[in-house]
Amino acid sequence: MKKFLSVITALVLALSVSACGQSSGGTGAANAGSEANVGSGTLKLFNWGEYIGEDTIANFEEEYGVRVISDYFDSNEMMYTKLLAGEAYDVLVPSDYMIERLIAEDRLQPLDKSKITNFDNLCDNLKGLGYDPDNTYSIPYFWGSVGLVYNKNNVDRAELEEKGYNILRDEKYKGNIYIYDSERDAFMVAFKALGYSMNTEDENEINEAFEWLKSLNDTMEPAYVTDEVIDAMANGNKDIAVVYSGDAAYILEENEDMDFFMPNEGTNIWSDAMVIPANAENPELANEFINYILTYEPSLDNSLTVGYSSSNKEVLEELSGENGDFYGNTAYIPREGYEKDEIFHDNEVLKKKLSELWIKVKAAN
Amino acid sequence: MKVLRRFVYPYIVWAAVMILVPMLMILIYAFTKEGNSVRNFMFSLDSFKRFFSDPVFGEVLKRSLVIAVLTTFFCILFGYPAAYAMARSRFKIQLVLLTTIPTWINMLVRTYAWRGMLDNKGLLNTFFGLFGVGPFKMLETTFAVVLGMVYNFIPFMILQIYNSLEKIDKSYLEAAADLGANRVQVFLKVTLPLSLPGVISGITLVFLPAVSSFFIPKLLGGGKYVLIGNVIENQFLTAGDWSFGSAISLIMAAVIIISMYITRYIDKKTDPEGGAAL
Repeated sequence: MKKFLSVITALVLALSVSACGQSSGGTGAANAGSEANVGSGTLKLFNWGEYIGEDTIANFEEEYGVRVISDYFDSNEMMYTKLLAGEAYDVLVPSDYMIERLIAEDRLQPLDKSKITNFDNLCDNLKGLGYDPDNTYSIPYFWGSVGLVYNKNNVDRAELEEKGYNILRDEKYKGNIYIYDSERDAFMVAFKALGYSMNTEDENEINEAFEWLKSLNDTMEPAYVTDEVIDAMANGNKDIAVVYSGDAAYILEENEDMDFFMPNEGTNIWSDAMVIPANAENPELANEFINYILTYEPSLDNSLTVGYSSSNKEVLEELSGENGDFYGNTAYIPREGYEKDEIFHDNEVLKKKLSELWIKVKAAN
Repeated sequence: MKVLRRFVYPYIVWAAVMILVPMLMILIYAFTKEGNSVRNFMFSLDSFKRFFSDPVFGEVLKRSLVIAVLTTFFCILFGYPAAYAMARSRFKIQLVLLTTIPTWINMLVRTYAWRGMLDNKGLLNTFFGLFGVGPFKMLETTFAVVLGMVYNFIPFMILQIYNSLEKIDKSYLEAAADLGANRVQVFLKVTLPLSLPGVISGITLVFLPAVSSFFIPKLLGGGKYVLIGNVIENQFLTAGDWSFGSAISLIMAAVIIISMYITRYIDKKTDPEGGAAL
């Protein structure tokens, strides 16, 4: 028995990586059971980490006399995996392509439009986005783009204008660049640099993009980072980084040597939106919460705290206006109506392919 | 004693539910295809074929093993003298406490802190700058990855070795000295062989997490040091290919069981009571 157990223990340690994916189902069920008796005044929110204003939750709880339980995810895929495992949340805040998938798979429930009375507070260009043309299921939360943060002292703006994303392959900046460590964002840069659509399924274009990234990897000594890039660029560690606009806005506030540039080759215009999953336990309160976020106060708090562009028209105008906190911050307002900019579409086959190619790019070191 | 035996049953139930079931699921996923739905499962060896047909994965596995072996080696190199000094010190309890305290803080936080110390404008390079040397590129190198691992896992090694050194009966050492052995001989012929079981269990405790760690290479290696744990994490959380992720987990489990078997074999050979070493 002892030997048997020791083998088991070894296996468990070995499999612990995958076990965390597996066990979420178990803990999820346990959570749901223990929280069912809290009462109807409980909202379960599943949001990105550090993605909400400092007082937003507390104010909502006070105003509505309810309790909010927050859970956090750091990728859409992680959120999806947890949802699939049967965890019941009332409000999720996934990104565009993930909402597209959730709608296609019937995992969301329509919003109660009679409760969303503040709908008109939304920015006009965020109403009826491609993935949900009538806002049947979703209300935008934050939005933005992806671009390059660069050190003004070491990189010339004119050079950026001229080279666009290909500046990332200029050996002058060897060992001095950060690439965003996710297959979607890395390949977006490569596709755009080559002049292709980032939603392409063309084998040749995908291969070209792979080669582009591979040669970047082999010649430029890049570092692949996700959220670490925020601190790293705020400290001025490197000269150029691929960064989400909201994070860029924060970096620019922290370090005045930094500036933001959206290459002319186009970029990814994304949005994260609030949705209610089909298995929500308290959809009524979920609708109230979404409506609450649309109001001025919480939108302002969210955007000020996090630095991402608000979906609330008034807040966006005020913060980027002359007396606003983000006045002159080029990363705060995303580019609108530029034809080479695109929105990601959900494509499982493409994502799997890119995911495998991305590992091959990085593993070649 | 027999009565106490009953207390084992809850643990067996717990182990069955929390350990065996997930492992069985991994087994099922590894040998099937069609994503996350177990209901319509089809037997398939595709995931294994994919792993072995692409040299990239073999390369990654090799790199993981090399980093883990390096980590284990340095843990012994630095851990043994530390444990030896601790066992002979007058402040044993305090020293054990000092070794354990860092593990009270979350590993992720401590590893993140190393970024601040190692980067080009970080603490260490600022210090070197005072003497006019550097800056050295330390972050995002193999050095940083191994350093991070040794730092995180060395307490396990030190405590294991310390425990086995502590248990050694002092009269053995006196007897050896009486019989004319000098200090080096006493150490090599008595202390070292008697402390080997500690070293072996230390190796197990360090090697296992080191070979499967995924956040240390991610944070300190600049994402460039893709280890097998990163690939598994990626398959589960990003690519959504649970079958392939499970297959890699199983392959890794096999590698680990084999390496444990080897260490155990060495352990038996050097077991002082087995007489092979003495």
